[in-house]
Amino acid sequence: MSSEWPDTLAAAPGQYAACGRGEEHGLGVHWEVLLGITGKDFTIIAASKAAMRGATVLKASDDKTRALNSHSLMAFSGEAGDTVQFAEFIQANIQLYSMRNSMELSPSATANFVRGELASALRSRRPYTVNLLLGGYDEIADKPTLYWIDYLASLAPVPYAAHGYAQYYCLSLLDKHHHPDIDFAQGMKILRMCSEELKRRLPIDFKGLMVKIITKDGIREEEYADDQNVAVP
Amino acid sequence: MIPPPDGGACVAMVGKDCVAIACDLRLGMQALTVSNNFPKIFSYGDVHLGLTGLATDVSTVSDLFRYKVNMYRLREERNISPQTMANLVSSSLYERRFGPYFVSPVIAGINQTSGKPFICGFDSIGCIDFAKDFIVSGTASDQLFGTCEGLWEPDLVSCACSGDMG
Amino acid sequence: MGGFDFSNHNRNAALHAQGVPLPKATSTGTTIVGCLFDGGVVIAADTRATSGPIVADKNCEKLHYIAPQIWCAGAGTAADTEFTTAIISSNLELHALSTGRKPRVVTCMTLLKQHLFRHQGHIGAYLVVAGVDPTGAHLFTVHAHGSTDKLPYVTMGSGSLAAMSVFETQWKGKLTKDEAVKLCADAIQAGIFNDLGSGSNVDVAVITAEKTTLMRNYITPNVRERKARNYRFPKGTTAVLNEKIIKKEEISKYVTVHELEDDSVTATAETMDTS
Repeated sequence: MSSEWPDTLAAAPGQYAACGRGEEHGLGVHWEVLLGITGKDFTIIAASKAAMRGATVLKASDDKTRALNSHSLMAFSGEAGDTVQFAEFIQANIQLYSMRNSMELSPSATANFVRGELASALRSRRPYTVNLLLGGYDEIADKPTLYWIDYLASLAPVPYAAHGYAQYYCLSLLDKHHHPDIDFAQGMKILRMCSEELKRRLPIDFKGLMVKIITKDGIREEEYADDQNVAVP
Repeated sequence: MIPPPDGGACVAMVGKDCVAIACDLRLGMQALTVSNNFPKIFSYGDVHLGLTGLATDVSTVSDLFRYKVNMYRLREERNISPQTMANLVSSSLYERRFGPYFVSPVIAGINQTSGKPFICGFDSIGCIDFAKDFIVSGTASDQLFGTCEGLWEPDLVSCACSGDMG
Repeated sequence: MGGFDFSNHNRNAALHAQGVPLPKATSTGTTIVGCLFDGGVVIAADTRATSGPIVADKNCEKLHYIAPQIWCAGAGTAADTEFTTAIISSNLELHALSTGRKPRVVTCMTLLKQHLFRHQGHIGAYLVVAGVDPTGAHLFTVHAHGSTDKLPYVTMGSGSLAAMSVFETQWKGKLTKDEAVKLCADAIQAGIFNDLGSGSNVDVAVITAEKTTLMRNYITPNVRERKARNYRFPKGTTAVLNEKIIKKEEISKYVTVHELEDDSVTATAETMDTS
């Protein structure tokens, strides 16, 4: 079955094939959509709703995000199993920190903690293959934040970001239309441009996006209509 | 499919009673730019360390040396000198001789005891290159070698050290 | 001894399997030689370090200190020659201190070959070991896999063939010190000019029963001409968009510093109220 896919796709999830990982089940890794956009006073995190295994869509309402604390949200894609396992491990540890210290870790501290855990797992017998976006709101600096982390534990603070094939379609759109001081409506407008482009050009149906917003008031889910057809030229 | 070595460029130079160190800010894989705000120079008191190569290792190695230099400072109650830092970097990299970090570090600083400028470079397993003129590193090292060999001369003053990096 | 950290190995192997090339190590594609003479021994080396097709260092030092009367010329992976000679130097010093005798060249050679054999050739150090000890002047070669030779004249590295041709045509028994130095310097120059992996200058070390003389840059046959013209730009050619001056005294950014008011008062974590 995997022979039907081009080489590059099959190679992507086989990152740790040398460590005895199966390479077949992660085929969808690079098709999963993760998007992040910051604006004047908010961070948008969007993730595709399709849970894919090989050529099958198992679920069309998958939530690829976990709230770490009241002001940071982590979106994840990657090898099945690793993703949720790693995200919930991080979630538990960040919550434990909040309970022990009666205060919440800032988004930048959270990002560096996540990177540290991913980097040390990378040197263990069985590393996690997960790509992450960490959206947050820094209550001290009073600024929205977004961190891009890949499976090799490369960490970069960014104004907008994407993972997987979505990068190739969305980053150019964001380069053109994004400004650091856009308001929420403009942010959603750019997100709509991105999702329409993905619907138009990605060869698979990723079952729409689940959209979450982080502001100084916390994390909330945003209704995101996905009913109109996109014209393909 | 050959993604990682995220690349980057770094150059350090000696001038008249000064040193200069510069890097690019790009993080990307081949043609895809992920971030335009990823610095590769890290300062530890009097010493500046440039790190090019695999982005994850740039972060890991810079964090490791921040820890090591802070511990040195607490033990010795003084700043680390560029020469000591060079030996620290060298031995830390050679410890991982058979499982190296994918980085090629560059050091620039002024020794506060002697007042003399100091630069040096390393390969990924810790071999030190003590140079009197300039050190280059990263995916653009060949180009930087060319410009430096062509333009560098002894006793450049501080404003002339900071030229363009393409 | 030789405690290496392999924690990156699995990850690097996985990256390598994906086609990521391993980083290039600096190697000393080198010419190194050694020659015995009446009353001592000479070793010499070129000063070029390469990284693939690029000359990484135009004037590096390939003659390594082991003990006051024992020196080593290194070829192969630069980091390996540097650290292998340093670790053996350290062990030999401890050995000399514990025995109360001057270290012998055979002891040094044996430590080197055992260290290199234990690592099965993965430590890429190719060495010429030379020195004078109470049993006389000695000259050895040690290969990365642990094999050794004992000869009156030796060459190693990528320029070894060019250098050996000089020895094979001009060497004779009972050389004087000056003749041996000349012969070694000529052999290195043959490497510098005929081997692309070698270049720049000639370093020579002469070891006799009395003393060791290190002649750094003994011959400099490749001095660069002064630049005929320059591209110096007048001040202000590059526009300064913004400027930020960071003061040196910013240690508190990195660690928490509490200045004690009086040097004679030592810091106390807790004090007991004795009133």
